[in-house]
Amino acid sequence: MSRLLWCQNLLEYLAGEIDTPPAGCPIKLANYLFWGIWWGILIGIVLIFSGQSSKFIYIDF
Amino acid sequence: MLTKRQLVLSVSVLVAGLVAMNLVIAFLTRNSVPRRVMQHARQSQSASVIALGNSLVASGFDEAAFNSGAGISAPQGSANLGLGASSPVEQLLLFRYALSRGVHPGLVVYGFYDFQLTNPVQFSTGDLIGNHAMLYYVEPFYARRFYSLSLHDSLQFPAMHAIPMFADRGALWAKIEILRRGIAQQGMPAERTSRMGRAADFSLLEAADEKDFRLQCEASMNLPLSPSVNELLRQAHGLGLTIAVVEMPMRGQHRRLFYNTPWWSQYNTHIRSLLAPFNVTYVDASDWIRDDTLFEDPLHLSAPGAAQFSQRLGSFLAPLPPHLAADSAETPVPERVRP
Repeated sequence: MSRLLWCQNLLEYLAGEIDTPPAGCPIKLANYLFWGIWWGILIGIVLIFSGQSSKFIYIDF
Repeated sequence: MLTKRQLVLSVSVLVAGLVAMNLVIAFLTRNSVPRRVMQHARQSQSASVIALGNSLVASGFDEAAFNSGAGISAPQGSANLGLGASSPVEQLLLFRYALSRGVHPGLVVYGFYDFQLTNPVQFSTGDLIGNHAMLYYVEPFYARRFYSLSLHDSLQFPAMHAIPMFADRGALWAKIEILRRGIAQQGMPAERTSRMGRAADFSLLEAADEKDFRLQCEASMNLPLSPSVNELLRQAHGLGLTIAVVEMPMRGQHRRLFYNTPWWSQYNTHIRSLLAPFNVTYVDASDWIRDDTLFEDPLHLSAPGAAQFSQRLGSFLAPLPPHLAADSAETPVPERVRP
């Protein structure tokens, strides 16, 4: 498996597209601690970057 | 395949993470601008004068210069409770907050520009970011009667007000916006900025042209005071406070295009008649600063401009009751206006 394909599989696995991790990936579906934190990080990223459409006139918050 | 148990455990970790994220956001925004103004109110219990308004007051009212002009000194001097990017609703809340924290002013200075006194306040939850976020955490349900939200947003509001990652999301977004602006500035000529943002952006808060301003004047000619302005004046008047409503200094271009017109004079006559029942002292200070270099952007005074304006305002208001330079008795605060 090429490195690019492996990365693609890893991203698809992290995004929930596929259930099987690429060979050598230590993160299993049973690792609830990782998945809880990972989803939290994704929600945090969405929250932080969801203000892009706001027109900021004042920025002194 | 994820088992039910794994899903429940993952969601539990996620919920714990979200709680932690909210605690971090609450901690990081503990000194946001509205909270700093509220803290200033708590620290100004002996102030005999409070100044309320939006960013024009926040940046244009210099406490030391006002005190000097009025012949008063700290801690009995003035407290600037102006809040940038605020509507009259937040200004009413800050007034009530100050009273509830033991501030007993003799004089309330309320600064405004253009149609601030009569424009009805309408929001969507998307607007409640930045300093408007205080509508989520200072008397949120009392304040709701002074601005309108759509049905959808009014249902969303109670769900969002207790969750810091929603209520204070604007503080996070502002950091990202500053980062974006920093990146966009790479290799570009430096943009003029004031402490509140990009100088050029503030022209967006003015009417587009004379015609637009005239239309706004005509549309506002028969409007009553906005409910929050009316309530602020009613409560201040009910407490026997002296109220000065100040037309804030504006640049020459703004005065020429908008204020030196028959329609602004008509609108001005209208608002003076609305203010009359509250025994308001109306101060037209719009042309007090004639040197445009004393403005740091299309709307806001620079520090030297603020000092000049505030000193003159202090001298002008000093003879009014409660005679600021003299010792004044504390004003009792009836229970009914306590938040």
